[in-house]
Amino acid sequence: MAAADSCDGISTSGGGWEKTVTLVSSDDARFEVREAAASLSQTVRRMIRAGGDGGIPLPKVDARTLSTVLEYCNKHAAVPAPAPESSSAEAAAVDLEWFDKELMHVDLATLCSLIRAADYLEVAGLLDLTCKTVADMIKSKTAEEIRQMFGIQNDFTPEEEEQLSRENAGVFE
Amino acid sequence: MDQQFLMGMNMREMGDISNPQLQAIMEQLGVDCPQLVGLGVDMALQYLYDATPPPPVSRRAPLASAAVSAPTGDDIDCLSRLPDGILKNVVSRLPAKDAARTAALASRWRGIWRSAPLAVVDAHILPDGFAAVRMAPGGDDPSSMLVVAAASRVLAAHPGPFRCVQLTCTHMASHRDEAARWLKLLADKGVQELAFINRPWPLDLPLPTEFFGCAASLTRLHLGVWRFPSTAGLPRSARFPHLKELVLSLIIVGDRDLQFLVDRSPVLEILTIISSQIDVRLRLISRTLRCVQLGMSALADVNVVDAPRLERLLLWMTMNHDKGSRIKIGHAPNLRMLGHWQLADHELEIGNTVIKVGTKVSPSTIVPSVKILALEVQSEVRNDVKMVPCFLKCFPNVEILHVYSQNADHTTSKLNLKFWQEAGHIECVQSHVKKFVFEEFRGNRSELSLLKFIAEKAQILEKMVVMVVSECFSSVDDVNAKLKPLTSAKWASENCKLSVFMSPVSERGSPTWHFRIGSDFSWSDPFDLMAADAEHRGNAVLHYFSSTL
Repeated sequence: MAAADSCDGISTSGGGWEKTVTLVSSDDARFEVREAAASLSQTVRRMIRAGGDGGIPLPKVDARTLSTVLEYCNKHAAVPAPAPESSSAEAAAVDLEWFDKELMHVDLATLCSLIRAADYLEVAGLLDLTCKTVADMIKSKTAEEIRQMFGIQNDFTPEEEEQLSRENAGVFE
Repeated sequence: MDQQFLMGMNMREMGDISNPQLQAIMEQLGVDCPQLVGLGVDMALQYLYDATPPPPVSRRAPLASAAVSAPTGDDIDCLSRLPDGILKNVVSRLPAKDAARTAALASRWRGIWRSAPLAVVDAHILPDGFAAVRMAPGGDDPSSMLVVAAASRVLAAHPGPFRCVQLTCTHMASHRDEAARWLKLLADKGVQELAFINRPWPLDLPLPTEFFGCAASLTRLHLGVWRFPSTAGLPRSARFPHLKELVLSLIIVGDRDLQFLVDRSPVLEILTIISSQIDVRLRLISRTLRCVQLGMSALADVNVVDAPRLERLLLWMTMNHDKGSRIKIGHAPNLRMLGHWQLADHELEIGNTVIKVGTKVSPSTIVPSVKILALEVQSEVRNDVKMVPCFLKCFPNVEILHVYSQNADHTTSKLNLKFWQEAGHIECVQSHVKKFVFEEFRGNRSELSLLKFIAEKAQILEKMVVMVVSECFSSVDDVNAKLKPLTSAKWASENCKLSVFMSPVSERGSPTWHFRIGSDFSWSDPFDLMAADAEHRGNAVLHYFSSTL
């Protein structure tokens, strides 16, 4: 089936021709992206297949978040992965890891928006990366430190809390 | 099963210690063990642990500092506004202790923790400051006892599912009841990836039959150092419906039970057997298997009957069965990789023809799909070398050929270049081999004859790599001089690059191997570890291009 009008045709990149698509954020910003990069989102991939007019609307993602998601997709869809034993593969892996880590240098609100976007857009790699980031922030911290970091209200009664700490300390600490 | 709890490897290495004597020694075990046996087992254990995939969660937190700025105002609880599914995703990425701490954050988080698939790794549940010790002989040391206590509590406290459980530090012989109870809990709570490895001694502890309860949920399984229970009493409907990868290390498993595991795993893709304690007999009929890897084990009969998706048949440090060992390749139309084939040890049968010196090549005696072939040849043993041309003729489309020159304990009269000139047409060498890697070059005439033969026949060879045993040469000039017949040969390919490297390690008894890389489909050539590493470092002692030779 033809990809219809959501595919805006062809643009040059690195001397070659590549298909691009236009994505439209909740605040009506338009992003022209290589189809290979946009297809890292399973949601977008399905919409490309379905076809449509005037770009693919993504009403749950704002422009600021979408631009970060696309930064991720562009980087990760850049080149096909070389065989892991080659030296270029090692360099590429280090480069990607560095890129991912830099991309996560954001405030917590942005991180949460990225998680929601990655979940909605079904970008598996980005969902992994963002959830891993939150998990890494939690590791080796006390419950009170975690509550403070994430503004979590402790709604246990003192009795419940005492019972909990008794159970958990026995089991895990 | 007269050699039940012995590794084939050890028996052969120990030479004159006969079977009954060793059995007597083993019977005294539990506390004390003969050093030789201990060393052998330590080595096997090392490979066994390396073959277990790294757990999906880690205590390391490389991204912890990433989200730098603290939230302010309305955003303060943005994390709490995420749906449960995502928070479960986060919690399932935490080591068990950290995950449990989230249960104490708030009532909602308690529910999230209870329903998040948990990863339980024994190294993660030990009290702070205690290292997970796994080498033998450890007996029931503090590491073992602490893991038992922690694992019992954790497996009971969480309702499951468990995405991954790795219990590898426990001296199970001292904790049989617990081991059985854990398996029961894991079965009830749906474990998906399981590494359940006993710490010796002994080596023949029966795996509790509660294990079979886990069959329904397992996706990856690594069992180590057990006697596998009989499957005879299991119902006809027993299956491992989701099992994709099976690793058996230092296991005693009866032929029928091994066959049962393969036959009743309808989606199995990877089968790895490391240091089997008894000779391996295997009949492969599987529509899904892609990789079979047999290492450090004695092979009796391996028969690839019908394996339409099989890509890799990998052998490493295998030994032959006393009555000879035969590997038969039947219907395996996608078999791309074969090796390390030890010419001295295994007989090859293709279709119904046993390949011998002088076997006439016919369409029924070739495996045209094989593209990467690795051979181990004792280059100073006449019968070994004589088999090489016959063997190569069975694989007419090989593009990458690895030859590892095995140091023979006895040498016989050698074969010279004339032998190779009379070997006749070898299709793969002449028309398909693009890369040829020769490991453990010692400079003997027989090795040189083979190298020269390849150089003079391989028309589309692009790359030849020779790894040199440095002890066998006094200097780089000496290497150069020894290789003179090769560099002055008339090469058939005009665009071949020859690179010669000193082996980074002194005389190895076997090629370099890594079981996880062997079954990692993203590695295009698992035989190439040593040569690729040498090329990567780029410190060749010689570089030649055939056009300028």
